[in-house]
Amino acid sequence: MSRIEGTFAALRGSGRRALVPFVTAGDPQPSVTVPLMHALVKAGANVLELGVPFSDPMADGPVIQRASERALAQGMSLARVLEMVAEFRRDDAQTPVVLMGYLNPFEVAGYEKFAKAAADAGVDGILTVDLPPEEADEFCDALRARDIDLIFLLAPNSDEERIKRICAHASGFVYYVSLKGVTGAAHLDVAEVETRVQRIKALTDLPVGVGFGIRDGETAARVAAVSDAVVVGSALINTMEASMDTPERIPEAVAALLASMRTAMDARS
Amino acid sequence: MLHGNRTYLLEDSDGQIVHAHSISAGLDYPGVGPEHAWLKDTGRASYVAINDDEALAAFHDLTRTEGIIPALESSHALSYAAKLAPGMSGEDIIIVNLSGRGDKDIQTVAAIEGTGL
Repeated sequence: MSRIEGTFAALRGSGRRALVPFVTAGDPQPSVTVPLMHALVKAGANVLELGVPFSDPMADGPVIQRASERALAQGMSLARVLEMVAEFRRDDAQTPVVLMGYLNPFEVAGYEKFAKAAADAGVDGILTVDLPPEEADEFCDALRARDIDLIFLLAPNSDEERIKRICAHASGFVYYVSLKGVTGAAHLDVAEVETRVQRIKALTDLPVGVGFGIRDGETAARVAAVSDAVVVGSALINTMEASMDTPERIPEAVAALLASMRTAMDARS
Repeated sequence: MLHGNRTYLLEDSDGQIVHAHSISAGLDYPGVGPEHAWLKDTGRASYVAINDDEALAAFHDLTRTEGIIPALESSHALSYAAKLAPGMSGEDIIIVNLSGRGDKDIQTVAAIEGTGL
């Protein structure tokens, strides 16, 4: 059983939902990332999403765009992201790590070569925002051969046929984008999310995570009540930006927000 | 892979997209359209580079000699035609497709050359 499957199975057994924080690797500086990953796990994260910075992050709102820009200005690359995962793995063999990014750096690295390096580093899943299932076979095969899950996004306007097609390619979990827009947008409709997630769950046995627009304990708890996993990114990075003058305090500050989401989610379950 | 296209890109060795620069807005993009990528791969077209100064010179040349203001995009092609012509015979024919009109670009040219409009 993969780390992702094992994590969701264990959570299901205890009636809890996964809390999945997203941070961009190397933001605001590379030395922060690994301590931050450990702090997030301590604060209640079940799966970590690590953003691979990209020059043209077209699915991201301004907050994560800035995170990408800061990381790239620090010289971050896909190879350095893998080094960070390997460093994290030395002290944490349990928590799944998913890399979230855009296809181009993965394609330039070479799918086979990347899949081997990612498996060696301890990566569990890859989510490339701009890879539709119709074009995914080559990357998917390379990752599967190394037991790495390829995670796909589902959108509010994905119809039944589309959901089925995407789920046929997906493994690990599927990620429902809770709104028509970019990451960090403000207009989350939880009732709508519930309807959509139920429709997806009728079509697949994969866990369904929900992200884009979850900003605090209240929204995290409400989304957790209707899904298997809550993904939170921009809200964490906003908190990080408030501590830019004292980067050594970032892990603590960001973990405190995540812990408040964990508490709110568990209080409802 | 950029903006849903798998094509030729201006990129670094890590797959990060590099900023494009061109005097003409229509060429100021770090990727190549799918049709041109195909024409290159099949060997039906060859691709050459023209810099901003050469394009500007061609923009003025056609405007002065023919009274036709070419788009800055097309000015690149005109500039290359002028480079190509001396190596050809008087009987050979060169066709340049003027893809657009340059009256849309006169503010850009005036700003670069410090001319008031």
